[in-house]
Amino acid sequence: MSNAAHHHDQDDLRLLRKSVRTLLERAGGAARARKIRDKDGAWDSPVMLELAKAGVFGAVVPEEAGGLGMGLSAAGIIAEEVGRVIAPEPVVASVGLAIGLLRRLCPEHALLAETLAGTTVLATAWQERDVKGLSNTLSCRFENSALTGTKSWVAGVTAASAILVVAEADGGPALALIEPCGKGVSIDKRRQSDGSIMAELHLSEAPAELLAKGPVVNAALAAAVSDTTALTAAELVGVSAKALEITLDYTKTREQFDKPIGSFQVIQHRAVDMHIMQQLAEASVRDALGLMDAAEAPRLRARQASRAKARACTTARKITREAIQLHGAIGYTDELDIGLYLNRALVLSAWLGDDVYHRRLWLRARNAEEAAR
Amino acid sequence: MIDYNEMSDADFRRKVRQFFETEYPEKLRHLSHRPKFAEIEDWHRKLHAKGWVAPAWPSEYGGMGLNAAKLLIFYEEQQRWGVVRGRDMGVQMVGPLIIRFGTDAQKAHWLPRILSCEDIWCQGYSEPGAGSDLANLRTNAVIDGEEFVINGQKIWTTMAHDSTHIFMLARTDPKAPTKQQGISFILVPMDQPGVKVRTIATLAGETEFCEVFFDDARTPCENLVGELNKGWTMAKSLLGFERVFIGAPNLAQNALGQLESYARGAGRFDDPAFCERFAEVALDVEDHAALYARFADQLKRGEPLGPDVSMLKIWVTETFQKITELMIEAAGPDGGTLGPLQVGNAAVDVLAAFYKARPTTIYGGSNEIQRNILSKAVLRLPG
Repeated sequence: MSNAAHHHDQDDLRLLRKSVRTLLERAGGAARARKIRDKDGAWDSPVMLELAKAGVFGAVVPEEAGGLGMGLSAAGIIAEEVGRVIAPEPVVASVGLAIGLLRRLCPEHALLAETLAGTTVLATAWQERDVKGLSNTLSCRFENSALTGTKSWVAGVTAASAILVVAEADGGPALALIEPCGKGVSIDKRRQSDGSIMAELHLSEAPAELLAKGPVVNAALAAAVSDTTALTAAELVGVSAKALEITLDYTKTREQFDKPIGSFQVIQHRAVDMHIMQQLAEASVRDALGLMDAAEAPRLRARQASRAKARACTTARKITREAIQLHGAIGYTDELDIGLYLNRALVLSAWLGDDVYHRRLWLRARNAEEAAR
Repeated sequence: MIDYNEMSDADFRRKVRQFFETEYPEKLRHLSHRPKFAEIEDWHRKLHAKGWVAPAWPSEYGGMGLNAAKLLIFYEEQQRWGVVRGRDMGVQMVGPLIIRFGTDAQKAHWLPRILSCEDIWCQGYSEPGAGSDLANLRTNAVIDGEEFVINGQKIWTTMAHDSTHIFMLARTDPKAPTKQQGISFILVPMDQPGVKVRTIATLAGETEFCEVFFDDARTPCENLVGELNKGWTMAKSLLGFERVFIGAPNLAQNALGQLESYARGAGRFDDPAFCERFAEVALDVEDHAALYARFADQLKRGEPLGPDVSMLKIWVTETFQKITELMIEAAGPDGGTLGPLQVGNAAVDVLAAFYKARPTTIYGGSNEIQRNILSKAVLRLPG
């Protein structure tokens, strides 16, 4: 890329970051996350609409389809900002999964435009559970225009207007749409450490609209999951960035033995290690998103997504745990915001796989690439 | 005179690569020890004839005059092909200092001799009581007529036993108000009765390091570079470009390659516990490269590097050590065996890699010192 083009892109990204940050700060910052946690674990509909107006949901969608056409790098910037204020809106799930599936499978459907406008919020139910945990096969079926089966780990369901469901139809994969309050739909809400809801969806002949079927569904799902994994990594980068800032400020002001605790070398060196991990995670996740923007091959994109999530999880774990320790006893209380960051990191790490899981995937992808060469 | 900066990056890279691949002697590739000059003399002659001894020096002084972007490419290709750094203290350290602070006479005298390796330089900074706390140095230089008379001791002087000259920091004003003041930068010929060199055997069984003793050693006053008592700030000003190289990914990348060939040969990838740890260090290396690229881009845009560049050194050296620990672990009962271990088609010298990794967290400002720098200059922590 030429220097001028590089600067142009960097300027656009900077402006995007600034506008999303301002919007989320004005909406109430991290304090809003606490308020909603103590209410119902949903989100603010007006904020969803404002985010939509700022173009957030269309970051990756091409301009001719009503988006910003700025790619995953831009969506990553947005995700970082969401992470910084632990915003409760399901931004990454919408951009990565729901919009990721719709724009690839049925770009003409009115749902896409509504979701981009923020008037419709879609949850996506694609995973299933078996006795060991995450299942590798689909047992939920689409038959006679209805869905039957159980879906697990459905994020962003609390105030969703509709739910996208990946199911099996005529021996192949399919994408169908259901109403959350429709007949035959029962939602088992599981409260997460950050107050949000991860749902189990029990479907018994629930009327559904078929949106797409066949191998294209699997391809679109794989691509959408890679995107969402990498964007969750970016959200975690935002979470740890802010947790680190809060902690550094605290060590500069909290005094013991008549000195700020940040003047003790043992604290300083631990703070530096957190800082290095944070810088490394930022560079790595942004690099991965850039590479994903430039690549088509699913295996390559999946490998970069795993690389990003692995680094972001390791970093967020280290930083949010150290943050509590460096705050001392007050860090273990619910009075300060720092605990909200720990709790969000727990949820985002577990969702779509933690660092150990993704390092395994990454190595498998790397070895497959080496073997193919 | 070719202006390399006018070439496209790709063309320049091709040119450099081709030269190394056709001209560099196979037996000197990826040397695990620091060679004496005699061992690499033929290669140095070729490089000198080509005018490529000093990539960073301005062309008016016989350098290649490369800008930051081209310089990075040059070094990347050098590392990729396993080209020895050579006896480059003159080119890397003294030369730039003379170019920046020296007199015309000093430039005319010393620079050509550095390029031709007629003079081979070593660096006299550290002392027994001045390691991380370098400003605590005590070796003193007293003016006696037209000469400095030097007394004291330097240590960890790399390759002093194969050098003709030493550039050193010496105390010239013991009464200066702070210990950083009152230090001067002087050039001293080593072939004189007042200079004695003793090699130090390292844990790796090598003798790259030396002690240098000064007992009424002499050097003409005209060998002072820059102003008297201003050596500290001058020496520090040199550390610009160097700081990104000390954090470059190559050492860890090479070690990872060795670990991988060993592990493949020994079937270690069948062990899920090994796989997990391998993936961890491999990603530590890959992600470091992304951070390194950020600083490299900064240099390419012509922006100066800030103190945050210390991060690179900390991360890459500690990763390097983690990799070599994993190599020892993978070697199992062979983990204590010196020399190359044969596995499958590969031979990997596990302990050589391990020993090579140890001093990296100590030299160039120990990682603890780097953390102090980051804590104060970047995180702005108090005290």
